[in-house]
Amino acid sequence: MLVLTRKINESITIGNDITVQVLGVRGGQVRLGIKAPKETPVNRTEVYESIQRENREAARTPRDLDLLNDMMTTSPRNEPE
Amino acid sequence: MEQVKTTRFGDVDISEHRPISFPLGLPGFPDQKRFVLMEHKPGSPFMWLQSADSPNLAFVVMDPFLIQSNYLQDLPPRDREMVLGKTDTPPLVLTIVNIPHGAPREMTVNLLGPLVIDAEARTGKQVILAGSAYQTRHPVLPE
Repeated sequence: MLVLTRKINESITIGNDITVQVLGVRGGQVRLGIKAPKETPVNRTEVYESIQRENREAARTPRDLDLLNDMMTTSPRNEPE
Repeated sequence: MEQVKTTRFGDVDISEHRPISFPLGLPGFPDQKRFVLMEHKPGSPFMWLQSADSPNLAFVVMDPFLIQSNYLQDLPPRDREMVLGKTDTPPLVLTIVNIPHGAPREMTVNLLGPLVIDAEARTGKQVILAGSAYQTRHPVLPE
């Protein structure tokens, strides 16, 4: 991992269009300002990882959904179309 | 004629099921950049998002508004823009269904990370609604 030391208000640039600026430090917390193109998702890592985990889990879906169909059509929460 | 090989559905004809491109892949599957969306069965609430490049990879997806009719209302501006973008055409929004092995009644949907698809441009992405209170495991069926 590349390690850089920055002061408050200093920033780093990643590639041609992403900058990360240190806005403030208080207690154990660092506030960052991030400028990135709209199509570049920026997320807290733990949130991103929760989606990754969920996708990997969901990819292990059983092949046969017919059982589920029956459940859905008898479920009171499912409104008929 | 190009066909997509799939484990579950055999060969799928691309002229019938036009692939949707996911330029960023999906979290956990960064290399999966093309999917086809297929009905499960007529009348079923479920659909399949089948990878065009990995025969074995398919997600069960469904319309999140069937689960929560007010889904995506009152989103913070950044999340709202990620879903709606700046276009006038509302995108197709789907949610991935997670069905635990041996306990299908406990299936959940990922309302925190919906799939947002531009059906016309045939492009899609999974967005993370980090400013919302949605969960990755929202129960589908009542307890």
